[in-house]
Amino acid sequence: MARLVRLALPLFLLCVTAAHADDLDVDLSKPDVRLNVSFKGSELLLFGAKDIFGDLIVVVRGPNKDTSVRLKEKVFGIWASTDEVIFSDTPTFYAVAATQPVQDLLPEHVLQSERIGTTRLGLKALSKPPTASAKTIDDFNAGFIRNMVAKNLYAKNLGTIRQIGKQLFRTDLWFPSNVSVGEYIVETYLVLDGQIETKRTTYLRVHKVGIEAKIYDFAHNFAFIYGLLAIIIAMACGWSANAIFLKRGR
Amino acid sequence: MQIYLPIAEISVNIFLLLGMGIGVGFLSGLFGVGGGFLMTPLLIFIGIPPAVAVGTGANLIVASSISGVLAHWKRGNVDLKMGFMLLIGGVLGSTLGVWLFTYLKTLGQIDLVIQLSYVVFLGVIGLLMLFESIRAMRASKTGPPPRKHHNFLQALPFKMRFRSSKLYVSGLLPIGIGFFVGMLSAIMGVGGGFVMIPAMIYLLGMPTSVVVGTSLFQIIFVMANVTVLQSIHNFSVDVVLSVLLLVGAVFGAQFGAKSGAKLKGEELRILLAVMVVGVCIKIGLDLTLTPSDFYVLGTIGGM
Repeated sequence: MARLVRLALPLFLLCVTAAHADDLDVDLSKPDVRLNVSFKGSELLLFGAKDIFGDLIVVVRGPNKDTSVRLKEKVFGIWASTDEVIFSDTPTFYAVAATQPVQDLLPEHVLQSERIGTTRLGLKALSKPPTASAKTIDDFNAGFIRNMVAKNLYAKNLGTIRQIGKQLFRTDLWFPSNVSVGEYIVETYLVLDGQIETKRTTYLRVHKVGIEAKIYDFAHNFAFIYGLLAIIIAMACGWSANAIFLKRGR
Repeated sequence: MQIYLPIAEISVNIFLLLGMGIGVGFLSGLFGVGGGFLMTPLLIFIGIPPAVAVGTGANLIVASSISGVLAHWKRGNVDLKMGFMLLIGGVLGSTLGVWLFTYLKTLGQIDLVIQLSYVVFLGVIGLLMLFESIRAMRASKTGPPPRKHHNFLQALPFKMRFRSSKLYVSGLLPIGIGFFVGMLSAIMGVGGGFVMIPAMIYLLGMPTSVVVGTSLFQIIFVMANVTVLQSIHNFSVDVVLSVLLLVGAVFGAQFGAKSGAKLKGEELRILLAVMVVGVCIKIGLDLTLTPSDFYVLGTIGGM
């Protein structure tokens, strides 16, 4: 099959003017991130080769979900949550690495449309207080990003991509212990003269494995039985503690 | 050594959890309390999501109450009839409490309600205990305070006889107390002994000998109810977390009980009161000090 594709490729090149199919190859050191008992974060190596001169940008996005952000205000002397804004489809994880600062590589409108950088996620407010202005929403947006950065789920700084010779490059991707499970998207851009030459999309699965996955699935699929088992375990512990204590006491 | 908790979805140092279990177990053994009011805030403090802290805390209290009630049971210090009446209210109250918990979570107010409940109840109980034990130390020769007989409480219908407690009171009274404490337990992730025991002594007029055993007896079932309901509605009981804390608590409680035997009753009560007020002040400060960020992430639809 691969041979067939390779034979057919020159034909395509004749027809398609902007074909850069072989300009860029990307792969990950592991196809997935496994959350097991000893999981304390995981480092993945993204490596690749490019045929032509140019800079690189790598963007990693976690699965999207709607997120509620609340404002804390002082009410009768205590800090209470008041206004709420729900943003739709926020990435649960976000990191960017590049060979140079991204604003030097691509014009702002391209960065915006490709959503490169935490300030350019283009978050939409699904629900907001009726009186909220655009400025208010921006403040909530910035607050959301600060929270995600504090949880290490959004990268604070631009990651570095190391170029080895003219063709090879590599970057380390770090996934902290509180990552969400799901399908992650890794996009690698090859950039030349303020334009995207090629874009490669790689997928990465983050999932629970082993006993962790079994407990999690059981707790969600058989919640009632799980609760009963939790009680039985607790009762057994309490009972045996008492038995040990009485033996030692006398 | 880190361990990844499947329900809390974070990784925590295993020795920190064992240490917390030993510490809280020691104090609960020392003072003869469940320790929920220490464990739940501690869990939240180390970064466990509040819902998981409350759900798992309830599960832990099942264990410590079983362990405690067995000793009282052997001495016949459990008023079963009273326990069942309290339990009726407790199951209803805790069911409402878990429902309220889930609802407040969608409103984004659960953290505030948990913290406020802690400040109010620990503050009041702690201060009362402190004043009373100081007064008791000063005048240890005078007898215990006389039982109060509230007229309107005596006038309630459905009077029942409780033999072990030597009481003839309305069945509505224990049901009401159980209901209130059950609701509190579900929201705060505590056994509620610190509210239940004063209520039994001062509102019901039960003899002190059966108070602790009966309270522990009903806490087991109320907390078992909370565990199951939290598992179903919030998926917030983490058995891995629970087992690690229990292992520590089992050993801690042994040493605590031995150390407790060396101290005088009044000294113990003052120490406990100081600790209760301390936890209250810590949580109170968290509520009033300016937060590091004015924006916080909330939850949608109870998840």
